[in-house]
Amino acid sequence: MTPLRAEGFPEQEVRLRARSGPAAAFPPAPDYGSAVFGQPPGSGSGDWLDHLRLAPPVFTPERLGKLIELGREPSYHDVTLDSDVGGLRSALPLYVSAFGSTDAAAGLGVAVARQAGQLGVPMVVGENIAAKDGYRGHRTSDGARSLMRRVKAYQDAEERGLGGVVVQQSTEDADAELWNRIYSDPGAQSLLDSGRLGFELKLGQGAKPGLGGMIMVNGEDGARLADRYLVDPDAVAADLLRSSTPGTFTQEILAAQIRLMRNNFPRARVWVKLPPTRDVGEAARLAWAEGADAVTVEGAEAGTGWAPDAFLRHMGLPLADCLALVDPGPSCLLVSGRMWEGARAVKCLALGARAIGLGRAALLAVDESAQDGLIALVRCIELELRLLISALGKYRPGALSAEDTWPRADGPPVVAHEPSVAGVQPSWQGGLP
Amino acid sequence: MNESARGAPGPRSPRNHLTSPRTKAMLRVQQHVLTSVRATLTARGFLELAVPLVGPVTDPGVRGAKQADVDYYGATYKIMTSAILYKQAALLASDKIFSIAPNLRLEPPETAATGRHLVEFHQIDVEIADADRAEAMELAQSLVREAVTVVMREASAELELLGRDTGAFAELLAQPFGHMSHAEAVAGLQKLGVAQNATAEIAWEGERVLSGKATRPFFITGYPKGSRGFYDRESRSEPGVLRNFDLIASEGYGELASGAEREYEAGRIITRMRETGENPAKYGWYLDLVRESIRPSAGFGIGLERLVRYITGAAEVWQVCAFPKLPGQVA
Repeated sequence: MTPLRAEGFPEQEVRLRARSGPAAAFPPAPDYGSAVFGQPPGSGSGDWLDHLRLAPPVFTPERLGKLIELGREPSYHDVTLDSDVGGLRSALPLYVSAFGSTDAAAGLGVAVARQAGQLGVPMVVGENIAAKDGYRGHRTSDGARSLMRRVKAYQDAEERGLGGVVVQQSTEDADAELWNRIYSDPGAQSLLDSGRLGFELKLGQGAKPGLGGMIMVNGEDGARLADRYLVDPDAVAADLLRSSTPGTFTQEILAAQIRLMRNNFPRARVWVKLPPTRDVGEAARLAWAEGADAVTVEGAEAGTGWAPDAFLRHMGLPLADCLALVDPGPSCLLVSGRMWEGARAVKCLALGARAIGLGRAALLAVDESAQDGLIALVRCIELELRLLISALGKYRPGALSAEDTWPRADGPPVVAHEPSVAGVQPSWQGGLP
Repeated sequence: MNESARGAPGPRSPRNHLTSPRTKAMLRVQQHVLTSVRATLTARGFLELAVPLVGPVTDPGVRGAKQADVDYYGATYKIMTSAILYKQAALLASDKIFSIAPNLRLEPPETAATGRHLVEFHQIDVEIADADRAEAMELAQSLVREAVTVVMREASAELELLGRDTGAFAELLAQPFGHMSHAEAVAGLQKLGVAQNATAEIAWEGERVLSGKATRPFFITGYPKGSRGFYDRESRSEPGVLRNFDLIASEGYGELASGAEREYEAGRIITRMRETGENPAKYGWYLDLVRESIRPSAGFGIGLERLVRYITGAAEVWQVCAFPKLPGQVA
């Protein structure tokens, strides 16, 4: 019998769902544990950052200033990249983003921490790490993946008093009082004493805004976690889907939680991570007004963890649109989403970000070389930052502004572009059609 | 002499500490304080309640303190950090209750240097159904004043041995305790050049400064939401301000007690739980009671060791405790 055909219709996708049921809502299960996820290429993200160009000038008054300061012609070597990243002194305007608590990320966690420490850049430790891989080491025989092993690896490798460790806490982590535990832990006191411990309140993430963290677990782990998490036996074929909850927020709840963090942990930096939502600008304003040291915005392009295809392809605003909605003023805005090279980073810095986060790129780099893959990747980005920023006639990331992008973020459009699929009209598009 | 003159605070030797005439005197003062508190509360019709030691949840820690976990038949139970949730529930059994019970808070190691933090301590916990903040404050004042009176009458020899200047209690005994709002405390500290976040708890240094300037105990009322647990009632007329209080001793001894009117409606309690980053799901037994209804109430907890320290004039709170446990110190 000839199979029914449906030209112009996503026939194969329908057939996959007919064969697999709910499992077809996710990437292929065999990839779990060996792949990092996130928005697939060509999924119509409307990522304006890819279309923007950097716009160097002929006339460079800041270069003249540098020339006078140095008494010689400045070069890209003269770009100063050390930055205040959310209250932490960083060697570079970048940080290592939180990874999901998936197996793929967990196996690389300690190597990432060690290399981030060597680089002197802040590192965010994702939610659910302590719940899944142990706080000090009880979950694995040698504690190799545990949260405090990562913190120790970072501290041991960092020798200049730079960077810092920022720890997320999910609703379920909060049941175990993760932040209180770290804050009271003698093993974290040197970070605390040097002002290099931070806590990140996570309101969501780029890859799946509106959902909590998701991992696949086997039956044994599923039974252990079932009293704290949603463990769904039907959502995926081979294993169990363990979901964290996204958390409920109103303006009042967000404000009160930030106040409580500042009240309870006065010596820790307070970061707030926002997903790419339509109200990201309002949420960022509120977080800064309540005294957050940094607001991290993750574009829909971001993500390393397990996420439904529908979310990876359709949910959330592109990072460029988020940048258009958020006005940091003098406050610290951090952004992440498909970061891996210098040009995208410089565009984000020009559009208001203080630093950029490496997620998937950091994991891939460490997978390439557990010894120095991340270090090499960051050194390459560092060189690109120096080359690009100096070519714009500037010598520090903070000097970048919308004038360095084309079409100009703060001026009339010259080149027409396709509109963003998110439907948001970034302010820097001016009167684009 | 301070037994911990060298190095970290705390006794060098348990034997020397327990046999020290000063320790013995302080423990006898504590006995009189306990007797006085029980007599005052019993005379006012309070029921003394034996509260639980462990439970699935306890008072969520504040200022970075961690709860201690117990493996309870495979589930994680908590050692009580305060009796607050049980106090509210117990008002279903009696209109006025109190308990004197040990609590455990794994305080950040830095608090070992404040002179007034212990990991293991005892609270005189009081809760009154259908009461407001003023009633709770009046009772807290009466308990402290009566305890000082009893100790001065029954333990004058001990106070003399300890070198306590009882003249310091003259104002306490003669006048109502002082009173300032949190906003006034913040403004006063900022005027003195002491850094203080207007939306947070009064920091330890600020509290020490205010306490040091006072000549009799005083109340600070109306702490901002975000500085305390979900159970302190938020003012209906002043959103963002809690109907709570701290009782601060004079002479730099700092906080003696915290109290408040309580939230008792399910919707408000669950919302406040979210605002304090708590997961309502873990408070199942408590919320089941709340949904069926619990009674409006007000109450407070007085730190027993802090009160004894104030009355005896001990330099540090651990000195009044037979077996002190200090933050961050592991035997």
